[in-house]
Amino acid sequence: MLWLKAWRESRVRFLLTALTLSTLSAFAVLFEPYIQQHQLPIPIHMRNGVYTEYIYNLIFSGTAKGIFALLVIFLGLGGLQRERAHNTAGFTLALPVSRFRVIGTQIAVGIIELAALALVPAILIPGLSTFMHRSYPFPIALHFSILWFFGGLIIFSVSFLLSVALSGEYTAPVVCYLLLALHTFVAASHPLAPYRLQLMWIMGEFRTMRWDAAHDLLQPPPLSWLRLLVMALLAFLLFSAAVRVTDRQDF
Amino acid sequence: MMLLYKAWLESRTRFLLSFLAIAGLSTVFVFFNHDVRTAVTDHDVSYSEYIWKAIFQGQLRDIYVVLALLLGMGGLDRERAYGTSGYTLALPISRWRFVTARGIAGVIETAVLAFLPATLVPALSPFVHEFYAWGQALQFGILWTVGGVLIFTMGFFASVLFSGEYSAAVAALILLFAYSIATDLPGMEHFIVDIHDTMNGSGPHGFATLTMISLTAAAIIGLAGYITTRKDY
Repeated sequence: MLWLKAWRESRVRFLLTALTLSTLSAFAVLFEPYIQQHQLPIPIHMRNGVYTEYIYNLIFSGTAKGIFALLVIFLGLGGLQRERAHNTAGFTLALPVSRFRVIGTQIAVGIIELAALALVPAILIPGLSTFMHRSYPFPIALHFSILWFFGGLIIFSVSFLLSVALSGEYTAPVVCYLLLALHTFVAASHPLAPYRLQLMWIMGEFRTMRWDAAHDLLQPPPLSWLRLLVMALLAFLLFSAAVRVTDRQDF
Repeated sequence: MMLLYKAWLESRTRFLLSFLAIAGLSTVFVFFNHDVRTAVTDHDVSYSEYIWKAIFQGQLRDIYVVLALLLGMGGLDRERAYGTSGYTLALPISRWRFVTARGIAGVIETAVLAFLPATLVPALSPFVHEFYAWGQALQFGILWTVGGVLIFTMGFFASVLFSGEYSAAVAALILLFAYSIATDLPGMEHFIVDIHDTMNGSGPHGFATLTMISLTAAAIIGLAGYITTRKDY
């Protein structure tokens, strides 16, 4: 029942995000000749590339990645604070379940939705490409899905913690967005740039893509599982903090 | 006046956070320009070009756009969810006045945020032995205000159409992305102004264009008011 409750609370945001990513992925593949011909909206130095480069620049490291990161902020908004504002927290807390289970279910549903969203381009791009007599390797698309998932997990966990800790309907998303923007600048600044801590760089394999010998396939390097494990641990710590904050809150 | 105060109370946290963020980032961009320059551009550029790329054209403008959009959230639909719309509607004023007050408060907040980098950058530049022309910065302040108000009205309009929690914000962001992609399509420049290009000074930004954008923003607020008057709360 808690699963259904968490799903119903987040389904509009999830479906809108999924629809947007699907539309953009389909648009990129189906209108590829038109976009390449009219040279939009790809930056000048990336135009007229081969198909894999085009998809990489528009979807996996481009507009779609930005949209995904931004909309995940809203997917992560949960907790009981907003229920207090709606005067429904009392009903939820009266259920014969612990707060941990209420919050834990919200987190679990959110993570499943996040994984589904990260998979949208990985399924659509290779699938639709065949209709256009093009090919995009599924392993490469899946590679980016994994990166999007772990990058999105960090954004999701920060957003969730903020929505648990801060009252005010739009305070948490605004703070989360500003933190994400601040992180982008700080991690990309001169002293920190070599450590590649920037989430957007990690999610898009920024400057680590390599051409194959025939120069017709843009390939990512092997996944750094250690880095992904650290990201998952960080997200776990943030979720734990959200649970602890909720346990101590007085509704 | 009381309605303006109400609108201010409802949006002040978002506004003050945005104010702090834009002021802070403008200051960082100026004071740490040598460190941040590598993150903004791939090669050595002049100070004024760096400021344009980082602030008036690039990252900070993107942040401002999203914040302006989020300033448009709120309104009677959200009040209905909180169970307070009845109190607001019981006030002896028309719905039009309520919508207008929220619109005016948002426009003022958007304008204040727009002029923040335009005043901070030329004022702080001498502290790092650099110079940025006041006239040029204030021109960007005007362009940001006009563009920001149009983007604010997108959020404002979405908040009237969508009543679900955060649905309006998500819908407004998607609308903004769709608009941004649509303006890049060939031939569209004859029908739609690319507000991003106008704001960064690389697109049309003459008096006629700015007037047309302002009228469009006013029309969107008017449409939002019309929808509000016909809704059943």
